[in-house]
Amino acid sequence: MRTAGGVPPTLRSGIVTELIIETKDLRKRFGKFDAVNGLSLAVPSGSIYGFVGPNGAGKTTTMRMLTTLTRPTAGEAWVAGHSVLREPRAVRRAIGYMPDEFGVYDDMRVWEYLDFFAACYDIPENNRKRLLDDLLELVDLTHRRDDMVDKLSRGMKQRLSLARTLAHDPQVLILDEPASGLDPRARVEIRELLVELAKMGKTIFFSSHILADVSEICTHIGIIEAGQMVAQGSMEEMRSQLMPHREIMVTLRDEETAARAQMLLANFQGVLGIERLDPRAGRSRLRIDFTGDDEGVAAINQKLAGEGIAVLGFTEETKDLETMFMRVTKGVVT
Amino acid sequence: MLEEPVRLVESPEEALTPRELRLERGAAALRWGAFANAALSGLVILAALAGGLRLIPDVFPALHGLVLGRVAGPDDAAVAGAILLTQINTALLLVLMVGVQARELWALVGVWLLAAANLLAIVSAGFTPAWLTVLFAAGTGLVISRDARAFRLNPVMLKELRGRMRGVRAFFVLTVYLGLMSGFTALLYLIYTPVNQATGSAAAGEVGRVLFMGIVGIELVLIIFIAPAFTAGAITGERERQTYDLLRATLLPGPSFVMGKLESALTYVLLLLLAAIPLQSIAFLFGGVTEGELVLAFVILTVTAIVLGTVGIYFSAITPRTLTASVRSYTATLVAAFVAPVVMSFVLGILNAAAGRASPVVEAALVYLGDFVVSLNPIATALSTQELLINRQVIAFWTDTLASDGSTIPRVSPWVTFTIIYLVVSAVLVVLSIHRTRRAEE
Repeated sequence: MRTAGGVPPTLRSGIVTELIIETKDLRKRFGKFDAVNGLSLAVPSGSIYGFVGPNGAGKTTTMRMLTTLTRPTAGEAWVAGHSVLREPRAVRRAIGYMPDEFGVYDDMRVWEYLDFFAACYDIPENNRKRLLDDLLELVDLTHRRDDMVDKLSRGMKQRLSLARTLAHDPQVLILDEPASGLDPRARVEIRELLVELAKMGKTIFFSSHILADVSEICTHIGIIEAGQMVAQGSMEEMRSQLMPHREIMVTLRDEETAARAQMLLANFQGVLGIERLDPRAGRSRLRIDFTGDDEGVAAINQKLAGEGIAVLGFTEETKDLETMFMRVTKGVVT
Repeated sequence: MLEEPVRLVESPEEALTPRELRLERGAAALRWGAFANAALSGLVILAALAGGLRLIPDVFPALHGLVLGRVAGPDDAAVAGAILLTQINTALLLVLMVGVQARELWALVGVWLLAAANLLAIVSAGFTPAWLTVLFAAGTGLVISRDARAFRLNPVMLKELRGRMRGVRAFFVLTVYLGLMSGFTALLYLIYTPVNQATGSAAAGEVGRVLFMGIVGIELVLIIFIAPAFTAGAITGERERQTYDLLRATLLPGPSFVMGKLESALTYVLLLLLAAIPLQSIAFLFGGVTEGELVLAFVILTVTAIVLGTVGIYFSAITPRTLTASVRSYTATLVAAFVAPVVMSFVLGILNAAAGRASPVVEAALVYLGDFVVSLNPIATALSTQELLINRQVIAFWTDTLASDGSTIPRVSPWVTFTIIYLVVSAVLVVLSIHRTRRAEE
């Protein structure tokens, strides 16, 4: 792994994690409006980092600063160890950037589009043909090689865009709303592509307001609101930090067993409350509000089994990001 | 971002890669070479002025021996020739500088060609100031040839030309253009022949000349309207399509971007010009037109296209929208092409009248001022070059006799000064545009 010169590896959770994107108190002011207001971002190398926030929170502005397109008003930012203020070219070499709007050259073929951008990254002509073949195969567009770019579907355009960002084999991909405006199938395809790219060792930093995308594939997440970071960290950290309670759903045969189980667990350590839900399909359900760890969850299961209660279903409800998101953001849309 | 004017700031310097450093050094050497040549020509002009005003005796023979030793002929004409050659070197060095910055293949070749041509001028004509150009051009050549791979076909030009020449559109435009030109030629012929027969002066050569001038004239007007249109949307168009940011986030150097846009537009204009050469050559059937005229007309048309193309690029770089950029480039172009000559000829007329039978110095100054003003305008340049060619068989240099005291002064056909001035202006505009695209948004 490359050492990010100038930026010391940061110590988090006892493990030395190298940060590939780091910002310190980043600010951007447009006139009297603070688009980004003291943002400190930490994206570990090799992660899939979901940058989530409501519209107008400053996601795009942050990304434009990281890609050297906009200069910060104050603060510092480093990408792959290079300062976006002092070494913009080195930063550009390290990143692949996909803005939220697809830049269409309406008079180009698919291969010409990729060839052009590869040439812009100074890739010698001799290597370009093979590179193009590889890229097209990666994003599954080989069969559309000679089609005009503007004839592609939105999902295909987005995949082509992604291929473009990979032309110079960058370390980091900075993707602004890669899944916005796509139909469900295209969204899944993009998501799978991102996971594949992460496996290839690329760090993926992408913004989204579609929380489902983020929770499915991200290893890390940062929530931004009104230009400020509200919470960030790995998915596990975020869960335990924001969701101290676990919810365990227990399905039982009938109301009688349910009542027994409820009584049994009422004083169990860590159980905050038990709720009897309406029976579904003739089966009774209990929702247990629990603060314990994984051992505790196992202990509950054992306890029920030990008492001879037939458990039909025992699942931990993972609270989705939506809840997390609603909890941390205050709805302050700038 | 588009709605509000974006304030721009300079990007700070950052450590260059060895390749960037080499290119930067090469371009700097060419720039200094251009400055040195400009300074030298300034010095020679001052010396010639001193000689012309008879402040210092025998300046011209001395200068002649010094700067153009191996060419026989009148001393003052030789000095004037040397001045212009130095200025041509200045213009070419500036153009090459931009080419090296943009990593154009032609710049790599051009640097060596310029050095060789100057060496030849030293050997054959004793043109000693050429040592400056040889030094700087060959120096640059040595630096940049070590990394010849840095020079390649401009990706932006390739992309633009692929788009522009695709499908039936390019073919259609070319056909319509040639059709219109042919129709115009036929019309000119039909109108002119009866007039000719009526007056009885059936000189076929005159028919040929009229046809030739008519075609060149219409091409000139076409270029004035087409060239800025091709480039005014070059950079603003990328902004409007939101592809500008994509390009700026890549490693594409600003000079390559600007030059690529300019080259693709000029290549197409050049295609139109070349396509019309057979039509111009119809004039040969009637006689009265020489190959020299054909070549000079082509030079004037090409140089006009280059400068108007860069005017469009420049406004495209400094304005946020294509519409504004087009309006501004057309305003600038039309003023320079049509309004300025009227105003200037008016002013010159007044000056000439006021001078009356003035001293030879004032007369000479007015003559040179007139030549300069003519070379600022493509139409005036074309007409006056043509006139000199036909009436005096002058291609470049000639000697004029002053009315006031019968002494002679060296003069030059306006296309030479026109080419120098316009190439320098183009290089400066390209440099300004590049400078603009290098800035980051604040």
